[in-house]
Amino acid sequence: MKKTGNSGVVFDIQKFTVHDGPGIRTNVFLKGCPLRCLWCSNPEGLKSKPQVGVYSKRCIGIDKCGLCLRVCPKAEEGALVIKDNRIDHINRNVCTSCLRCAEECPSQGTLKVWGREMSVSEVLEVVRADREFYEKSGGGITLSGGEVFLQTAFARELLEACKSEGINTCVESALHCDPNLLDIIYPQVDLVITDIKHMDSDVHKTLTGVGNTRILRNIMKTADMGLPLVIRVPVVAEHNNSEDNLRATAQFIATHLGNQVKQVQLLPYRELGLDKYEALGMTYPMADFTPPERSIWEENILHLLEIMQEYGIPAVAGTTKKYDI
Amino acid sequence: MQSSNSANLNELDAIGVIPINKEWGIGVSGVENPSPFSRTNQILKRWRETKWSVDHERAALLTQAYKKYAGLSQQLKSASALAHILKNVTIRIYPDELIVGEIGAPAKAAPVYPEFSFGWVQQELKDNPFKDRPYTAHATSEETEKELLEIGDFWNGKTVEDEAISLFTEDQIKATHLGKAVFSLQLYLHGGIGHTHPNFKEVLNLGYGGLQEKIQQKYDACDNSLPDDIKKREFYQSQLIVIDGMIEYCNRYARLAMNEAKGATGERRKELVKIAEICSHIATGVPRSLWEAAQLMQFTYNLVMIESNGHSVSYGRMDQDLYPFYKKDLENGVAKEWQQEMLESLFLKWAEMCKLRDWGTVAVNGGHGMGGTTITIGGSQPDGSDATNDLSYMMVDAIVHTRLGEPWLAVRWHKNTPRNFKIKCANAIRVGFGRPKLFNDEVCIPSMARYGRSLEDAKNYGVVGCVEIDAPGKEYGWHDAAYFSMPKILELALNNGRCFECESVGKDLCPRYSICAAQGKRLGLETGSLAEFSSFDEVKAAYDRQMQYMCDLMVGAINATDIAHQRRRPLPGLSLLIEGCTEKGIDVSAGGAIYNYSGPQAVGVGTVADGLAAIKQLVFDEKKVTGKEFLTALLSNWEGYEWLHALVNSEKVHHYGNDDAYADELAVFGSDTYCKHVENRPTAHGGVFLPGVYSVTANVGLGLILWASPDGRKAQEPISDNCGAVHNKAGSHDVQGPTAMLKSVCKLDHERMGNGTLLNMKYSPTSVSGDSGRDNFIDMVDSYFSMGGLHCQFNILSKETLEDAYENPAEHENLLVRVAGYSAFFNDLSVPTKLDIMDRTELSFD
Repeated sequence: MKKTGNSGVVFDIQKFTVHDGPGIRTNVFLKGCPLRCLWCSNPEGLKSKPQVGVYSKRCIGIDKCGLCLRVCPKAEEGALVIKDNRIDHINRNVCTSCLRCAEECPSQGTLKVWGREMSVSEVLEVVRADREFYEKSGGGITLSGGEVFLQTAFARELLEACKSEGINTCVESALHCDPNLLDIIYPQVDLVITDIKHMDSDVHKTLTGVGNTRILRNIMKTADMGLPLVIRVPVVAEHNNSEDNLRATAQFIATHLGNQVKQVQLLPYRELGLDKYEALGMTYPMADFTPPERSIWEENILHLLEIMQEYGIPAVAGTTKKYDI
Repeated sequence: MQSSNSANLNELDAIGVIPINKEWGIGVSGVENPSPFSRTNQILKRWRETKWSVDHERAALLTQAYKKYAGLSQQLKSASALAHILKNVTIRIYPDELIVGEIGAPAKAAPVYPEFSFGWVQQELKDNPFKDRPYTAHATSEETEKELLEIGDFWNGKTVEDEAISLFTEDQIKATHLGKAVFSLQLYLHGGIGHTHPNFKEVLNLGYGGLQEKIQQKYDACDNSLPDDIKKREFYQSQLIVIDGMIEYCNRYARLAMNEAKGATGERRKELVKIAEICSHIATGVPRSLWEAAQLMQFTYNLVMIESNGHSVSYGRMDQDLYPFYKKDLENGVAKEWQQEMLESLFLKWAEMCKLRDWGTVAVNGGHGMGGTTITIGGSQPDGSDATNDLSYMMVDAIVHTRLGEPWLAVRWHKNTPRNFKIKCANAIRVGFGRPKLFNDEVCIPSMARYGRSLEDAKNYGVVGCVEIDAPGKEYGWHDAAYFSMPKILELALNNGRCFECESVGKDLCPRYSICAAQGKRLGLETGSLAEFSSFDEVKAAYDRQMQYMCDLMVGAINATDIAHQRRRPLPGLSLLIEGCTEKGIDVSAGGAIYNYSGPQAVGVGTVADGLAAIKQLVFDEKKVTGKEFLTALLSNWEGYEWLHALVNSEKVHHYGNDDAYADELAVFGSDTYCKHVENRPTAHGGVFLPGVYSVTANVGLGLILWASPDGRKAQEPISDNCGAVHNKAGSHDVQGPTAMLKSVCKLDHERMGNGTLLNMKYSPTSVSGDSGRDNFIDMVDSYFSMGGLHCQFNILSKETLEDAYENPAEHENLLVRVAGYSAFFNDLSVPTKLDIMDRTELSFD
């Protein structure tokens, strides 16, 4: 397909997502994120450039194939590390991310490329395919990440194209960005999903790598601009699940966001994405953390839910309850 | 969004007895006491405690009658033998039940039908006893074993199967289960046809007394000097013999109930007296209440099942047929709760029926139940308005409250189906026991009409068995006539008409060689080889020619089987219950019905699509391998070509099921080629052939005897199921999620596939949880149907559950799963079928 207009780096497109906005949706994940949340389950979305992940177990054996070694320009310098007749990992100090190994690899998912430069029209073609499902269910596109606001021009053109075709648009963002960017994106957006990870900026910084001042200000601006909001609160034991923090969060929502908040979703911590950390040669930041038993965190979430509700906030546990926009 | 049809649950908290939005949980099919009625739970307990078995009495009585009436014509002998069984077979009434009547054997015992095929029963009794099977075992008493072995000599050479095989040509034999099994006909060689809707509506209107009167008039009007009338008189006489037996059968239950009442006390005594009264009244009379109507349906169903063991005899649009009785009861002050309880008792009765199948069938297709006992509910009226009524809701509740393998429930879904009813159905589906299955009126009705049914009959369609749409009470559709392996056609097209094994793999590796009538011979036509083809069009042309040749053989073999049934096993009982037979004076087996068809199924559309796509892309478009190399890779079962095997199974090659035009067009080509060579050819009983595209579980059996295929399948792995995508051990080929899968499936011409299409989808419980999960589920079905899908059904189960059930069967006795067209207890399934179900892509919503 001919590439026109803006292009962006997309690390995944998932059809039939049903928890990120109303109805049946297609999620487009943009690569690159300014935050480094300890519990991040999408480490492949952090860096802006395409990356190759290695799933060693799926390798069919160098003796039977070996195509990756044959095409790697840095093979002699040891970019691809072989162990027990399989590709084991990539020496990222040598690898230039030319992606040729992954392009040649015949086996599904052994060398997985995260990040592909796509034009607006290429993405649009994928999104359009499920139009029938959006129409019945009130669904559409959800732009997620990574961070949408790191690729503002691309996001704007894509969302505008969707809107002009009558496809419902939703943006899921941490909102750690220049407030002026909101003015560019929001005219094309029907719903914003964001999250509040901690109300104390210093703690927020230890949890995510950045303070929360800009984020909270942007959330307020979103509400002021009249955008409907869904706010997610990840509940992580020993990190942000104190009653005080939840009360502060509730107070903020109740005081500053008015009727723009359609739902607040308390989400339990889940140890997800470990395979991706390993594939990328990264360390899971919460590797040493042992989450409490299910019964304990369930009780904790229900308790925090009651607190939220004291403030008159439409809070629920999980992402499967309906809300009206 | 959907404000116009969104549910207002406050206004309508219950249409039947149970609130519309009642949630029964998600993925929790195996619970102890699923019903709010203790009677239902008590019967369920007894059901669980009763073992599956085999009973010889029907076979013994039939043999007795065939000897006694040896001098009669085949028509009169068949009728007299049926009446003999109805009058003499042991009958029972079980504790708690409100609806009585058995199919000539105790609850959960399979009767035996030696007149269709008996060699395998004898052989298995001696060499591989039913009671010792590793799964789908049937207990047998010493008496049963002795009696069955004793009558073996009598039936030798006299069965339908014997006659059918004598009519096959040498080439046909090579392609059947006696040869390489390109198609399997065993179902109708080993047993009755079934797959029809008895005309319950007429029986409910006339009763057996009314039917008797109608036929007597026909009989009396025959001119005994006219050749045609002599045949008609013989036919009417056979019908009258059956009715006489039937009236006595009902009266025997009346007497038994009265007798048992004498020994009973309290409420049960009153119930038994009432049951006696009902049975006695409906022996000849017209039902006056829902209870009487239900009992009359039960007896009528039993008549069909005692006569023949064809499965998938279906109940038709029960919510429509029974509604007048329900309404009258309500006017007479009968409580809805009582009607619900009685319906549940009826449904439980239908779960007691059992069918004995040969080991070859069971090995790949486990399960004890009769199979295909489908009730159709919902749908539209002739004027397009919605037909859903109280009974539609109550029957969904009854299915959830009984939760056994049978009966099956089909919902007709159309653009005016109320949101409330969709919610009721979605909540039942989310329980995870695979019911109800959903059918799209907007595709089914045109498909019915396309193959010659009147528009009025098309609009009144019901579902037979798995997915076969049919005109209730008017049609003899032979809907499960054969399963046909399309991947085998592709193999012949790539290899100049020869099996891979015989050609060069080696006969030692062919699982069928020792018993194959085609040993070493060319199976198909000489149409060239992949090693020589210079364009993809040549591959397609070879596929088309091989398909035509094999379809000719299959159609011929089915028609030969049809003729054998007509000659050796007329069905005077069923002929009472199919419109047209009495009017024409012709037995249903010989074309008496108003509508007649034969419906063989093509299996493996995904395997063919992905195989063709791989060849087109890698050999002809990208030239990554030569045709010769690809063929060598297949012949070597991918050994030495591991990289190609991996590549063909990877996303880098186009795959059907991902809304990818490249591969989807080849799925259309693969299946349309089959339809083209099958549709509208004449059947022996006076109709035309209807192509279908589904496998039930035949994909496992047909895969076991197939060498490697170009979709990346290794020898013996299952071929793709139904309309689904390929799921080999090396990977599932549909990776874009359910919307893409549904869009791919909609590219097939469902309307043309008049014998039905089938789509299984499996979801994890989390993917459909909550209000949004439920509503997205409903919207997804609506979207699929608006794009032209015919049918879909769902398994809501977590993979963990299945794996646990696989490892620890004892802890999952009650786990019911949707296999394909049907649900079965997981523990009943064969190991390959279990693995096949576990390997199907689990589509997740989140």
